Amino acid sequence: MDVADDLVLRKVCRKLQQFNVRNLDLTAETDITGDLEIDSVAVLDLIMEVEDEYGISFPMNLLSEIRTVGDLVRAIHKQAGAQ
Amino acid sequence: MDLFDKIAGLPGLHEQIVAAGSDPFGVCMDKMCSATEAIIQGRNVVLAGTNNYLGLTFDQDCVDAAHDALDRLGTGTTGSRIANGTYSEHRRLEDDIASFFGFASSMVFPTGYQANLGVISALAGPGDYILLDADCHACIYDGCRMTGATVIRFRHNCPEDLDKRLKRLDSKDTNKLIIVEGLYSMFGDIAPLAEFAEVKRRHKAYLYVDEAHSVGVFGEKGRGVAEHAGVLDDVDFVVGTFSKSLGSIGGFCASDHPKFPFLRFASRPYMFTASLSPSNVASVTTALGRLRSDPGLQETLWRNAHALYDRLSAFGLTLAAPPSPIIAVKIATQEQAVMYWNKLLQAGVYVNLAIPPGTPNSSSLLRCSASAAHTPEQIDWIAEAFGQVAEEMHAYEAQNAGRYLLRQSAE
Repeated sequence: MDVADDLVLRKVCRKLQQFNVRNLDLTAETDITGDLEIDSVAVLDLIMEVEDEYGISFPMNLLSEIRTVGDLVRAIHKQAGAQ
Repeated sequence: MDLFDKIAGLPGLHEQIVAAGSDPFGVCMDKMCSATEAIIQGRNVVLAGTNNYLGLTFDQDCVDAAHDALDRLGTGTTGSRIANGTYSEHRRLEDDIASFFGFASSMVFPTGYQANLGVISALAGPGDYILLDADCHACIYDGCRMTGATVIRFRHNCPEDLDKRLKRLDSKDTNKLIIVEGLYSMFGDIAPLAEFAEVKRRHKAYLYVDEAHSVGVFGEKGRGVAEHAGVLDDVDFVVGTFSKSLGSIGGFCASDHPKFPFLRFASRPYMFTASLSPSNVASVTTALGRLRSDPGLQETLWRNAHALYDRLSAFGLTLAAPPSPIIAVKIATQEQAVMYWNKLLQAGVYVNLAIPPGTPNSSSLLRCSASAAHTPEQIDWIAEAFGQVAEEMHAYEAQNAGRYLLRQSAE
């Protein structure tokens, strides 16, 4: 799925902006913990905000597969479709 | 590329923290003098960073019981309960724990960490749902990872958030296990267990409560926050440790469920590890007896906790939660927290330094714990040190702010 133009992507990037201290250009390829240097607990808290926004629950089991912003966006679409 | 690449950042981080003085994560007690004092770097230090809530580590009865067990039963069991046998003392301790909570049975483990790994991994499996409080201890997270169950985090201490997440599962025919703690180890805040129990009943879920820090601390009989909230009957599994109020090492789980004893044959962290050593079992059995027969211990603990809390709060320090034996002082930055911690040690007080990601909300904390064994003079000593260091830190910050302003005006 092409996420480049996606509304969910834009929303996620807006949420990530608070962590973007190095002012990177946030794209689907941005590595959440690597490029943004967010610690693992903060990532989990961010996921909770995303869950609230979309009325979904993200199993923690899936989180290990989410590395980039694009991975997160695809996972949101998948969960929202399934629940 | 090598195996250690994944921890490549750690040496730099460690160096940064140690540069401010001593290593907060590698403190060596050269000599333990009592439950509340040690010699560290040649200095007599008052310990305000233990989990020795009832101060029983040097209790004469507990020490004597351990000595006696060493003489009678030897230094170790050299094997697992399943393969190499149970000592009658293990069984007696399990009976004591079950009767303490008023539950049908209990199991003991060599550490509290293993108790959570052992019970969670045996209870939940693929197809089940675990709902865990976001601030649960690492061993609960690790236990969940071993299950293959679907694991969902809910907001810390928020029954409404748990309710919302359980509602999303209402259409599914599945087992739901809610995991929370009684007293949280970092901030010292307690779970709203009456509200959690109500949510649990409504959604027909199971409730699992880790009372590691709250046994001996909360509840009329010292059984923890669930007893304190009057909902012990709603708890399906109560887990705890022997390494805090009970002054030794080990962990347990107690339950009323008739099939609970069969977890012994399903729990890998129970089956494939050596059992508790006889001297540990003996001191814990005696400590549990003390806890049950001497409510004065809990009263003294709370008197000390309130005294320390009031003194620290009078200095204008930001405390993370209402009074409890865990008193966490919030510090604005990690750098300041490390400096603060070093100055306290130099002033003869040991507390715990807690920094992200080991803490909730990326906070930096100086975590203190009160003990029933602290004397009023020791509480005074701890408070005075905090007052003195707070003043020094204040002066340092003011000076830094001054420098910053000067630099700004120069620019």
